[in-house]
Amino acid sequence: MPVFSTISVKHLLNRALFGYSKRDFAMATQMGSLQAIVSSLLDDKPLPSAPNLWVNTVPAQIQLDNGSASAWYKEMTNWWNQLMFKEELNIREKMVLFLHNHFSNERDKVNYPQYMYKQNQLIRKYALGNFKQLVKEISIDPSMLIYLDGNNSRGTSPNENYGRELLELFTMGIGNYTENDIKQAAKALSGYQVKGLDVIFDSTRWYKETSLSIFSKTAQFNVNTLIDWIFEQKATAEFICRKLYKEFVYYKPNEPFIQEMATVFRKNNYELKPLLEFLLLSNEFYKEAYIGSKIKNPQELLIGTCKMLEIATPDMNNWYDMAIILQMQLFNPPNVAGWPGQRNWISSTTYSFRGGYTDSLITGKRYNGSNVTGKLSTLPYIRSFINAEKADLLVDDFCDLAISLPISVSKKELLLQTLLSGTIVKNWSTYVQMADTRVNAFIKAVLRIPEFQLI
Amino acid sequence: MKKTINRKAFLQQMALISGGFGIGLGSIEGKAFSHISQQALNIVEEGNVLVIIQLGGGNDGLNTLIPAEDDLYQNARPTIGIKKDAALSLANQMYLHPSMTGLKKLYDEGLVSMVQGVGYANPNRSHFRATDIWNSGSDAQIVLEEGWAGRYLKEKYPDFPIRLPNHPMAIQLGSVESLLFQSKIGGFATVFDDPNLFYQLVSGSKTDSDPPPATLAGEELAFLKQIAAASIQYSGVISDAANKGKNINTYPNTSLGKQLSIIAKLIAGGLKTPVYLANIGGFDTHANQLSTHTTLLKNLSDGIINFQIDLQKLGLDQRVCIMTFSEFGRRVNQNGTAGTDHGTAAPMFFIGKNVKGGIIGANPNLKLLDSSGDLRHQFDYRQTYATVLRDHLGLSNTSTAAIFSNSYERLPIFRQSIENSAEGKTIDLVNPWPNPVRDQVFIQFTVRESQPIYFAVYNLVGETIAVLVNETKQKGEYNLTLTVSNWANGTYILSLVGKKDRISKRLEVF
Repeated sequence: MPVFSTISVKHLLNRALFGYSKRDFAMATQMGSLQAIVSSLLDDKPLPSAPNLWVNTVPAQIQLDNGSASAWYKEMTNWWNQLMFKEELNIREKMVLFLHNHFSNERDKVNYPQYMYKQNQLIRKYALGNFKQLVKEISIDPSMLIYLDGNNSRGTSPNENYGRELLELFTMGIGNYTENDIKQAAKALSGYQVKGLDVIFDSTRWYKETSLSIFSKTAQFNVNTLIDWIFEQKATAEFICRKLYKEFVYYKPNEPFIQEMATVFRKNNYELKPLLEFLLLSNEFYKEAYIGSKIKNPQELLIGTCKMLEIATPDMNNWYDMAIILQMQLFNPPNVAGWPGQRNWISSTTYSFRGGYTDSLITGKRYNGSNVTGKLSTLPYIRSFINAEKADLLVDDFCDLAISLPISVSKKELLLQTLLSGTIVKNWSTYVQMADTRVNAFIKAVLRIPEFQLI
Repeated sequence: MKKTINRKAFLQQMALISGGFGIGLGSIEGKAFSHISQQALNIVEEGNVLVIIQLGGGNDGLNTLIPAEDDLYQNARPTIGIKKDAALSLANQMYLHPSMTGLKKLYDEGLVSMVQGVGYANPNRSHFRATDIWNSGSDAQIVLEEGWAGRYLKEKYPDFPIRLPNHPMAIQLGSVESLLFQSKIGGFATVFDDPNLFYQLVSGSKTDSDPPPATLAGEELAFLKQIAAASIQYSGVISDAANKGKNINTYPNTSLGKQLSIIAKLIAGGLKTPVYLANIGGFDTHANQLSTHTTLLKNLSDGIINFQIDLQKLGLDQRVCIMTFSEFGRRVNQNGTAGTDHGTAAPMFFIGKNVKGGIIGANPNLKLLDSSGDLRHQFDYRQTYATVLRDHLGLSNTSTAAIFSNSYERLPIFRQSIENSAEGKTIDLVNPWPNPVRDQVFIQFTVRESQPIYFAVYNLVGETIAVLVNETKQKGEYNLTLTVSNWANGTYILSLVGKKDRISKRLEVF
């Protein structure tokens, strides 16, 4: 059984949430055990209400021509960002993002935010629910039908796009099926069309053969029986467990443990909640080696830093624009495989922009000079630390909050000197002249060290 | 061996970046911009440059370089086939897509070599796996985590990552570093969209000389620190080159046009970077492909011709070659939604003053398809890479073969082969053999004029492992056999130093 400690609680919150504040950490600690925290993380919550009434309007070309589709996408992105920012101690939004990445759909092709909204709520409905059922429903979801060309695919000459990605990326993984399985699956998946906000099935557009042969079984497969049969394949549970592991534990999977996860997943009929409970309470999850080994994704950086700095009303536009620059625009993953994550987040340019973003929360100016609303209120924030008036302990406390890895004595000393900038520990007070400038320089420096990118 | 950089290696790297001064959090900002001297920038090395354009999504080769007179082609594509009368006639019954007038013009001037039917055995039709195969240069069933250009750059810059050269080793326009430039010892590419903005952002970057811990997290931290260090090292050089260089021609206002204009500017500004990567996406044309594909090919063709004109006006066209590639071609038969599904072999284009021009290889054989109804490949894609490495970038035969673990027959893409030699140097060091090595390695070096020679082996920390020679050597060729069976596994660097020349080679012990 993993040990309940400051380190294990922080690790759990880092991986299950988009960052946390001092208050979040205190609340979790007060729960008294990892079991209690995990149980809270996995609590069911009612679905949030829609961002606006446009979600029910029927898609029409005019919405693209007059720019409303694009404005609505932005509104929906802000809405989701707020859900993440206000997630409290609950893993659901993290799972929604995980599944959005898994069932990757791009707004550039889907065009209408109404469809992506519908898909987003479908994912949210099953984020802690039955994964097999989610695969069935998302296979005939308007956004997916448009994105992977299932829309209007006819059984006589089917479009293979969805059939291929269903097997390769959504359920089994490459190497577990043949090109012929794809062609046959594409037939079973044909016949659907998007009409307005809905999807209809037209049996005259379905395949004409009396049966199909997929993974050595011959039957008159339809979407449901095809997916049932896919989940009978050994590779399927392993594939999704491996992906969850890479998201929540470490990007290089531990195969024996993946097998354990897959066993739990199958035993629970592909319900996600018992699987996550198993994972988040496993010794594997809390192994010291994995702590601090994940490179934050842009959402974890954008949202998490604002939570940590207790910025009450963060700048939505800053989040929206920076997510694009940092290569994680919501509703617009790079391709059907989604965001690959970890080191792929970091290049010379995105690394530098990450620093530009954290600076902007402190200075109130973006890299291009525009103002950031909702920046850090330096002195009230720093005075909320118990050791605010003891410079050396304050450095310790802030680093403990912001950084997941141990920091060398010499680096801490440099950070302390940045905070003091000329004065000495004995004379430090948050009431000395220019205290805010000094604190700002100190926080900027902490958030600019490479360790800050790791959780 | 762990890929972590330890303290000493890191200090060495940082010392170079900061000009040898000690580094503190407060002090690095200013030093991040200690530029290399202007003089160094003014010397344009006669190095050749390869500009790779990646067509993301799988370009429909049959509708790009078109067998328009072949009835089988027209029958397979009743609504999306390009008719002979509309297409641009090249030679040998082959035609170019009507929107590629720019490329056609260059072809007519003899500046375009087109290689038909490029692919590989057991082709993969997944975007991601196929892209990885093309980037890594591996067989279909072998997964390599290094890019072929990364392996080339490892050879070209044997001191990396202990020492970063003055100029970026590879530049990628974009935001996410491609596998193409990855290697086991780190990524070689500096990645950015806009040179000046890049410079401005790096100005706040900090890094330090603390060694990353020997943990999994430490490996990720070492990776982050390497990126930070390279950014600090190169942002100034890049923005200087961009400000010094200029475009004489104007480019189309497209993403590719913008990328190519930046590349031309950087080359003109004196950057010695040998490899650039630009990209254009959207080629995954499963449905209603006619208009989409027309726009894509127009953007590609317009971008290329304007880049070529700019290079000519700048007097740089002798040195630069463009190569296009895509992860696969598309199915011969159109699908039910007026598009094409994932396929296999496709043509590649090589553009530049040094190419021979013309169409290489036979026309697509639409009678002899594979079991999926896809084209069979005629040339292995690594033949084109090997040709570029040998004939354009001047890499030796043995090194080229080592990069692909196989010797691929070259294709007649370029007018002449450039032979590699240590011209002008008074010493020379042949690649150690075998490499990687388990017990004994054979080493050969040449001294062209009598001089003091210091020949030593270092590990990646910079520690001296063995001093092989430390005396004055007469003119001649010298052979050594070195026993490494009791050395720790990992990478070592052989460094041969003469009076004024220095040559390094990498040695892998396993």
